[in-house]
Amino acid sequence: MKPLHYLTMVLLILALVIALVPQNTTRPYKLTAEELLAEIRTGTQFISPDEVADKIIRKDPSIQLIDVRNPREFDMFSLPGSINIPLQDLLAEKNVDLLNQGSKMNILYSNGSTEANEAWLLTRQLGYQNNYVLQGGLNYWTETILNPQKTGGVISNDEIAKYNFRHAASKSLGGGDASTAAPAASTAGSTPKPGVVPVKKKKKASGGC
Amino acid sequence: METTDRPKKLKYMNPYIGGVLLGLVLLAANFISGRGLGASGAIKSVVVASTQAVAPKYAERTKYFKEYHEEHSGSPMKNWLVFQMLGVIVGGFASGALAGRLKFKVEHSPKITSRRRLLFALLGGILFGIGSQLGRGCTSGSALSGIAVISFGGIITMMGIFGGAYALAYFFRRNWI
Amino acid sequence: MGPLAVNDIISPNTNFLLAFIIGIAFGLVLEQSGFSSSRKLAGLFYGYDMVVLKVFFTGGVTAMLGLLFFSLFGWVDLNLVYVNPTFLASAIVGGLIMGAGFIMGGFCPGTSFCGAAIGKLDAMIFIVGLFIGVYIFAFGYPMFETLYKATPMGAQKISTMLDISDGVFALILVVVALGMFYAAEWVEKRFPREEY
Repeated sequence: MKPLHYLTMVLLILALVIALVPQNTTRPYKLTAEELLAEIRTGTQFISPDEVADKIIRKDPSIQLIDVRNPREFDMFSLPGSINIPLQDLLAEKNVDLLNQGSKMNILYSNGSTEANEAWLLTRQLGYQNNYVLQGGLNYWTETILNPQKTGGVISNDEIAKYNFRHAASKSLGGGDASTAAPAASTAGSTPKPGVVPVKKKKKASGGC
Repeated sequence: METTDRPKKLKYMNPYIGGVLLGLVLLAANFISGRGLGASGAIKSVVVASTQAVAPKYAERTKYFKEYHEEHSGSPMKNWLVFQMLGVIVGGFASGALAGRLKFKVEHSPKITSRRRLLFALLGGILFGIGSQLGRGCTSGSALSGIAVISFGGIITMMGIFGGAYALAYFFRRNWI
Repeated sequence: MGPLAVNDIISPNTNFLLAFIIGIAFGLVLEQSGFSSSRKLAGLFYGYDMVVLKVFFTGGVTAMLGLLFFSLFGWVDLNLVYVNPTFLASAIVGGLIMGAGFIMGGFCPGTSFCGAAIGKLDAMIFIVGLFIGVYIFAFGYPMFETLYKATPMGAQKISTMLDISDGVFALILVVVALGMFYAAEWVEKRFPREEY
């Protein structure tokens, strides 16, 4: 048989196979299940409302708040300076640059922390870094930042400072309480601050013949 | 593929086998580097590098070179295609040596002189150089690599190249047959 | 997994070394297929030698099928493989100019390097021409810029434009290519052929 006949057979069979099987559209996961589980267990993705409030007040340029609720909810109420990426649009092409970046700290939030955490889980599996979740979501945010309650009974200095900070934050972030203002304490949150991990931008190979 | 059924008549590889091997090389390039093969891109690199070396001020304020640097980082000679083209020269030479085809000569139809052949080679080269910039790649970089990744632009460029050549073939037939 | 260089599995320097090796393989295949001879290449346009068509399209569809299978097996992420951006007007005009260059010069850039490597003087002159051409484009860029950037369409795939899967497009292209191969065999029999 001539090479052309072999070629015809092989190419036609391969082409038929590739035409009939569904296209592989899965994105490869960058983390193994074990690695991901370890991260979930330590909960390093969570960032406390106090810390977020502090950053918002200081107008920290290194954060980007991302609201993963639907646009209607986003229009009704959102944190200052946040953008809206509804959960269903999370994997859209246009959002990749926002979620997979190395210059800012993305803080995802939803009403509770479930949706934001789901969004984080997905981005983390794709290997994206620098995405965090607002602990407790907007519900806890309203409770702690916008309407802080004085804890009754004997309270430690630390808790007073925390209350004072929340109280001040509440004022500047438009909370309901309007009693005497306390000086804003920046002692909020003694956990180590999650830094921004620089991401080497995965550019497509450049062409240019 | 060095089987010579008649003495002195050097045989080339069967085109379909050659084609499959070419495809595997192209596949390797895509798998390893995420890009296709190319030739004119290497020439572009040399043009950019040489202009920068000879007239750095000019290169700094001229748009073409500025745009090159927006798209490419690092030295223009430290470029994938430059290394690949150096390989092509080595590979071509090795193959020619194995097949006993190494020889300085001007290949042309007996109907024309060597001078005419060289003049047309020069003109053809100039046109190909300009065209490859507009087409963002030549026969290998745009057309061949374009087919592999089903690129619309690549296949349009390919049709342009073959269409253009067929359309003009009649006028240059004396050069070839 | 792949592309290896884009996923940082191999270092940039290894990538350059592999580029050199891929180049050697590329040069070997081109030369062994007879692409170092301008008269053999030009045969495509006069019907006496269709080797360009056969090698070119066999190579194209082989690599295309290879990439699709690699993607299917999860060996390569096609989103990370470079797709040439389409600038329609620029691609058409550029292609036609290259076609004129092909029929006059008898080479394309890749094959001219191959021809020059085995001592073809016409190929060397062709390369000189290539450099002149790119210099003309670089220095006369303001003149070409409007055309160069006309009708941008992004990194467009034909399968996306036709709204069919890559696999179905591959099948169509394979059938078209095979049809051309049989036609080429038929054409070659009708024209006197000589080995260059």
